[in-house]
Amino acid sequence: MELNQRSNRLSPQINRPDTTQSMMFMVLVALLPALGMAVFFYGFRVIVLAAVSIASSVGFEALYCRLTGQSQTIDDLSACVTGLLLAMSLPATSAYWVPVLGSAFAIIVVKQFYGGLGKNFMNPALAGRMLLATFPMLMTNWSAPLDRLPIFGVDAVASPTPMSFLHAGTLPPQSVGQLLLGQKGGSLGEVSAFMLLLGGGYLIIRKVISPRIPASYLGTVALIALLFPHGDAGAVAWMTAQLLSGSLILGAFFLATDPTTSPVTPRGQIMFGVGCGLLTMLLRYHSSYPEGVGWAILTMNCCVWLLDRAGMPRRYGIHNFAVTGHLLRRAHASVSKIKFVMPEHTRRKSGEMPGEAHLDTIRTLAISWAKLAAVVAVTCVVISWVHSATDLRTAQAEDQAQQALLSRVMPQASVRTETPYRAAGALSITAGYSEENQLMGYCVEVQSQGFGGIITMVVGVDLDGKVTGVAVTDHKEDPSVSDKAMSPSALSRYVGRSGTLRTDGVNAIDSVAGATATSKALTAGVNRALSIIANLDTEGAELNVDDTL
Amino acid sequence: MRHTFFGGVSPVSHKNLTRKKPISPLKGTLDRVTIPLRASVDEMAEPLVQPGDRVQVGQPIARVEQSGLTIHASVSGQVEGVKDCPHPWGGLCPALVIHSDGENTPWPKRPTPLAPDKVTLSTLLERVNEAGIVGMGGGARNTAHKLRRAEGKITYLIVNAAECEPYVSADHRLLLEHVDQLLLCTKVLARCLRASRVAVVTQGDKLNVAEMIERRVKLQNGTTEVYTLRTRYPLGSEQAIVQTVTGQELRHGTDPLDAGCLVLNTATLYAIGQALFEGKALTHRVVTVSGGAITCPRNLWVPIGTPLSFLLDECGQLRDGAAQLLTGGVMMGRPVEDLNIPVCKDTNCLIALSDEERKDEVETACIRCGKCVAACPMHLTPTFIVKALRQEDIPFLKRLRLEDCISCGCCSFVCPANISLVELIDKAKETIAKGETEPWN
Repeated sequence: MELNQRSNRLSPQINRPDTTQSMMFMVLVALLPALGMAVFFYGFRVIVLAAVSIASSVGFEALYCRLTGQSQTIDDLSACVTGLLLAMSLPATSAYWVPVLGSAFAIIVVKQFYGGLGKNFMNPALAGRMLLATFPMLMTNWSAPLDRLPIFGVDAVASPTPMSFLHAGTLPPQSVGQLLLGQKGGSLGEVSAFMLLLGGGYLIIRKVISPRIPASYLGTVALIALLFPHGDAGAVAWMTAQLLSGSLILGAFFLATDPTTSPVTPRGQIMFGVGCGLLTMLLRYHSSYPEGVGWAILTMNCCVWLLDRAGMPRRYGIHNFAVTGHLLRRAHASVSKIKFVMPEHTRRKSGEMPGEAHLDTIRTLAISWAKLAAVVAVTCVVISWVHSATDLRTAQAEDQAQQALLSRVMPQASVRTETPYRAAGALSITAGYSEENQLMGYCVEVQSQGFGGIITMVVGVDLDGKVTGVAVTDHKEDPSVSDKAMSPSALSRYVGRSGTLRTDGVNAIDSVAGATATSKALTAGVNRALSIIANLDTEGAELNVDDTL
Repeated sequence: MRHTFFGGVSPVSHKNLTRKKPISPLKGTLDRVTIPLRASVDEMAEPLVQPGDRVQVGQPIARVEQSGLTIHASVSGQVEGVKDCPHPWGGLCPALVIHSDGENTPWPKRPTPLAPDKVTLSTLLERVNEAGIVGMGGGARNTAHKLRRAEGKITYLIVNAAECEPYVSADHRLLLEHVDQLLLCTKVLARCLRASRVAVVTQGDKLNVAEMIERRVKLQNGTTEVYTLRTRYPLGSEQAIVQTVTGQELRHGTDPLDAGCLVLNTATLYAIGQALFEGKALTHRVVTVSGGAITCPRNLWVPIGTPLSFLLDECGQLRDGAAQLLTGGVMMGRPVEDLNIPVCKDTNCLIALSDEERKDEVETACIRCGKCVAACPMHLTPTFIVKALRQEDIPFLKRLRLEDCISCGCCSFVCPANISLVELIDKAKETIAKGETEPWN
């Protein structure tokens, strides 16, 4: 009989349980429930957004392979996974070009420039998302759930996400059930924690991912939230809210477990998860962004090499204590080899000084130490210079001067804050608050033309439009003149006045004798400040809080 | 069921193909058998017969000078001579060719059966050597030698009834059909070798066997323990099985004796029982012929030396011409290079895989999923080994403990990128052994 052998490859001749393609397909399947939930909450725009993202990812991958003459790799579905994950991390209100830009960066720069699938060191989808996060106005329009969006033409609406509440130290208004099912603002993939858990469980059961990273990640976050709860809600409620809000579950099950950018060794994977958890909580508690999952995972991605080495499995048959014991024995052996010998102080016959053989070693050592010392010294100098340049005392003195100025122009106020208001003629407008945090009035910095040059002055005006005080901060008048016109008694004449002040007639401030021009200039400045405050538009811009993954 | 060793994989077992088929003798008449003169893995036997001599079943035809290990005729007939024949381990090996007369008359001068309580260590060793028994699970090592070394040093006599390779059901059938003789044999061996306990290790796909043994063990009120484990490959490896029973990991360079264990395969144990209690030499063994391409998968009682092509004829040939033929199992076995290869003492199966069961796929890029690391029962990192080999980073390669590898094939099996890791690790071992780097291609 003829033997028709197809390959002489060794051992496992049986079909593999998974291929790269099937693993990627299962990730796509696992993301479908969450995507469905996003469609339910935000309308069919979500589908179009996901389709645009996937199509552009696959397109860029095909284009890159084509242009560089590599074999096509789009049928391993990894580009589809990148595209879908990118879409899942966008808000539903994103414009359609946003995922295109993100996937161009993710596929071409992060993935293909580093050698394609399996060689990139950062999660492409996450890196694309973080690039987009540098355009805050694109990424902070979280639409409210159940507010289904039209496919074209989306208004920019802002609804707070649970993360912004947690960042402020309070529990979000949603109940645990709502957090689980998804009645909250956020990106597509943050909507429904339950559906993400479902998909993650599916991946673990099908052995696409191991539970090590998600379990250690979520466990660390839960532990820190339990140990250090903010606000007055209970620790357990705080922990639940921390776990279910934001993109933590999406990150733990789908982004951190990306095979290429997570460690290979089991212990390394656990360390990776713990590191992600620690960084996430650090960023959530202490950074200006409400969410830290993305940055935490990207940072840990960069440490994978180290974690792989640190997490090497121990040798079979040699237990951890055996390794430690071996190390100790070896250390003892090397220490016992050190012998102390009395140096010879006599000159040898060959004319060589004792220790001369070691001179080269000593010299090299000295050079290297000197270099190190030089580096340390330069660093110290630079640090001290920076320290003096940004001297805390200078800043403090400045603050005290401002405070003194405030007490001069508005004695009833104790705190000053910057305001976003701008007006023509005013160098700055600051608000003054009393001890009880009540708005007392505004301090306006104005300039007016004096006899010798420009006089800069700060005028305090209360909410009734009355002057509370005047202070001159800078002038070029002759000292003899300015001493008279700017004496405390002269300046205090303005206090309590309102309306338009004149130099004679009704509502007049008499000019100080011998300093008429300067007095007139001061009065003009006060008048300008009064008119600025009277016409102040306090309905202006609101500050937008940045909300980032 | 207990979880005992790290890693491992769970391939689809496919044992249902032959699980319920009783061990049956060959139906057709053998024309000739080819019995290799390689008595064990490192011993060559000298022929005792001349071409033209008539031999009978069980008659010694070759013997190793030093150890006395004997090879027997498995059919009756006429010796044709010594020829170089292909061997399952690859390459050629001198072999005695016997032309069968089809009558299978037994040798009249074979030893008398012993009563179980009359067996002593010396008779045991003598009988085992006389019967030509070697490890029948794939090692083909001299069993008498192993028993002699183990005498008085062991606590555990471990019966390896795990049979973790997919498709194979030879040991399963042996246990089902001859459980009493096997248990009797363990008692005798434990007494002779002064082992205090007997452990039978099976896995979850043989629950009927486990139940049967446990029932008998309870009745006997003896020192036998039954370990039934979750079905997982490679439970049958020495390391995994010793770890299961004693919890001790066998370091590189140690063997089960250092952990106070003697591991015997079910088929080997059955052969010892046959030699002691029935006076029969090792002339036949159970071979599972299975796989999706086999028309009628069966468990056969096959004379040593039967060519593989005859086994295929017995089982109704292949479904279609093309198939991947393997001996020794799908995980660790070797591809069959020649259908004239004879059945040896360690050939437990012949498997023909159809196209659906073994798809040919190209190797793709490693995605660093880490499945090979999680699957390696020896705590190795196959992906780093292959990376170091491809980058020719020999110092790093040396630190990756290649010598621990048992070539179980778990890493290749789970690799989603279809990288043949076992082969590359073998290559890395060679590279290190040679102490020089060669460009990899």
